[in-house]
Amino acid sequence: MFDPIHAVFVRIAFSFLVAALVGETVHHYSQFPRIAGYALAGVVLGPLGLGWVDTADLPSMGPFVGLAVALLLFELGTHIHVRWLIQHPWVVVSSLLESFATFVATYLVTRVLGIETETGLVIAVMIMGSSPVIAMQTITENRARGRVSQRLLVLSGLNIAYSVLGFQLIMAWYQGAFHSQWLLGIGRFMMLVMGSLGLGVVLALSFKGLRSRFDLSVEHSAPLVLGLLLFIESLVLLFKWPVLLAPLIGGGLVKCWDQRPILLPRYVATLGSLLAIMLFVMAGSRLTWHYLWLGAGSAALLLLVRVLAKLLCVGALGPITGLDLRQSLALGVSLIPLAEVPMVELNDLHRFYPQADGVADAVVLCLVMVMVVLGPLALQWGLRFVRECRE
Amino acid sequence: MVIPEFVSSRSLTLGVELELQLVNPYDYDLSEATADLLRLLRKKNREWDVKPEITHGMFEMATGICENYDDIFSQLDEIRQAALLCADRLDIGICGGGTHPFQHWGERRIYETPRFDQLSALYGYLAKQFTVFGQHVHVGCPQADEALVLMHRLSRYVPHLIALSASSPFVQGSDTGFHSARLNSVFAFPLSGRAPMMRTWTEFSDYFEAMTATGIVKSMKDFYWDIRPKPEYGTVEVRVMDTPLTIAKAGAVAVFIQALARYLMTEAPFEEQERDYLVYSFNRFQACRFGLQGVYVDPSTNEHRQLSEELLETFANIESHAIDLRADAACARLKDEVLKGENDASWLRHQNAHMESLAALVQQQCRLWRD
Repeated sequence: MFDPIHAVFVRIAFSFLVAALVGETVHHYSQFPRIAGYALAGVVLGPLGLGWVDTADLPSMGPFVGLAVALLLFELGTHIHVRWLIQHPWVVVSSLLESFATFVATYLVTRVLGIETETGLVIAVMIMGSSPVIAMQTITENRARGRVSQRLLVLSGLNIAYSVLGFQLIMAWYQGAFHSQWLLGIGRFMMLVMGSLGLGVVLALSFKGLRSRFDLSVEHSAPLVLGLLLFIESLVLLFKWPVLLAPLIGGGLVKCWDQRPILLPRYVATLGSLLAIMLFVMAGSRLTWHYLWLGAGSAALLLLVRVLAKLLCVGALGPITGLDLRQSLALGVSLIPLAEVPMVELNDLHRFYPQADGVADAVVLCLVMVMVVLGPLALQWGLRFVRECRE
Repeated sequence: MVIPEFVSSRSLTLGVELELQLVNPYDYDLSEATADLLRLLRKKNREWDVKPEITHGMFEMATGICENYDDIFSQLDEIRQAALLCADRLDIGICGGGTHPFQHWGERRIYETPRFDQLSALYGYLAKQFTVFGQHVHVGCPQADEALVLMHRLSRYVPHLIALSASSPFVQGSDTGFHSARLNSVFAFPLSGRAPMMRTWTEFSDYFEAMTATGIVKSMKDFYWDIRPKPEYGTVEVRVMDTPLTIAKAGAVAVFIQALARYLMTEAPFEEQERDYLVYSFNRFQACRFGLQGVYVDPSTNEHRQLSEELLETFANIESHAIDLRADAACARLKDEVLKGENDASWLRHQNAHMESLAALVQQQCRLWRD
């Protein structure tokens, strides 16, 4: 009845409906974040459940997800106040420590589990960051305000930057160690770092330039902002650079160079919800029974170690950065969610190394699937623990 | 319940309380950082008088007993600088102004203390709408009866003080057309407005006991009058002013009140009487709505004048007292503003005309408070 393209659209439309209904139902009966319901719907719709959405549909969703990720990361970047971070280096130290400790601890666990060094490093770097999408969605949904919410956005922005850079560095090392192409690997890494920085600068300057002529905080300016981000994303894809870095840098530079308050209109939050649905449906669609069987045990242990590493580091250093102990612990818990960063990095891994075995996929996808459901709950609990959520 | 004993305090000493806004530096909405800021300030182990206000996002700082402008300025400046350091650490901003230009009362959360919880239970949404920011000035009085006389005599000057200090033209994202819209939030409380005419502490104590017997009042704090006696401190507390945008202005308004009080008590230019209050609400409204350009009806002569003219005459009347109190320079600055027809409210409107958003206006308020 449908040609293949129409069939994909029907499945995507169905995914939206199911995810939104499950999200609302979960929220209505449990007061859990809707985003946790979207993730559950993803599992139900994917190969583990009805098998309605599978990896063949992913390319159709890719550009939408890319745009929404770019928009959210750009907004996240505007919460990273570089001058403030320079004046308060302990915040950067705590961010570096929690990310590095998570990386080392989870890498050691992969070694204990007998996973090869190369794969272990990739897994550890992929799961060291947090999830800005979950953080921003949960904060918006709960109308959370306060120190923990604000600091969470800053640390999420920083730790995904470390994760992306670390991952690309490991890719460069792969290229040198396994293909004896050290110069090419290092050159590519330098190129993507400088390129992302350059595109971030272009994005920030363009945004500032547009802002001097148009009010970008109103709804009818949406085509300007979305067009600009889409253009940047298309360049990122053209050069095969990391999709997460340029918008994040761009947002940070806008905050740095344009001292005026940056008010992005409501469509950002709307796109965030749509992104969350697509992302989690995509996550669900990639997790198969095979991966579940292969990765569930390792993921459980990694999850535990990752939680402990973040909790201990942020809990220990939080008070030095102006938070009290309760807020520090809540912040540690709030950094637990994990979603879009490993998904994007898994794509990159397969693009660079199609021959990569499925161990990283199995472990990371299992972990992501647990985290996209439990992560929002942990985050909401953390924000409620410090009374930053509206009841 | 018996009213607390009126503690004698040195005549014309001053105390200043300022309610301030805590905002986040991203969208410049109010930030729920009161507890964090107070925690960091208290860690400095100084005897600063800083406390929470009714909702998160507000805090109050107060001086101890002050003699003159320099005293007030140095005490306020010490707390201001410490608060700014702590605020920087928390990545929040502090600013003055009688209202936050665009915060929505429904988003506010009551600060958790038994008294604020009780107020919230009693007044409902009015408690959250009370997220407004005022300056209170205490004037020391040696005797209770004298305090009541001063309270009633100062009442004639409530419009003057409103017009001088007005800094709340914007509410919930809109220009209200008022110079001081803050006081509209205070009017909503049942025990607001003027204090009843009583000249002796005995009369006042009887009134207080009668009110407490009704169950409506539990302490003096339940009277939201524009001016009220504060027996625990031995002062008259003037509460009609919006929080100015700078501590220099706050200090100037305080010493203006000090010089005015000295003028009223030493020269006794008129006898306080119930008739004064016939035009009280009209004058007060005019000052809130039109600021320095409002109409003032003289309660003695029924003459209608512009408030700025009335203020200029008041500056002339209190000049010698201001000189004696070393308040003349500060009063001269206020007089300059009156001559130019400007107050903080007009500054805010002028700034907003060139701003992209009200958030940018709050950013300017933060800069002004910092400088």
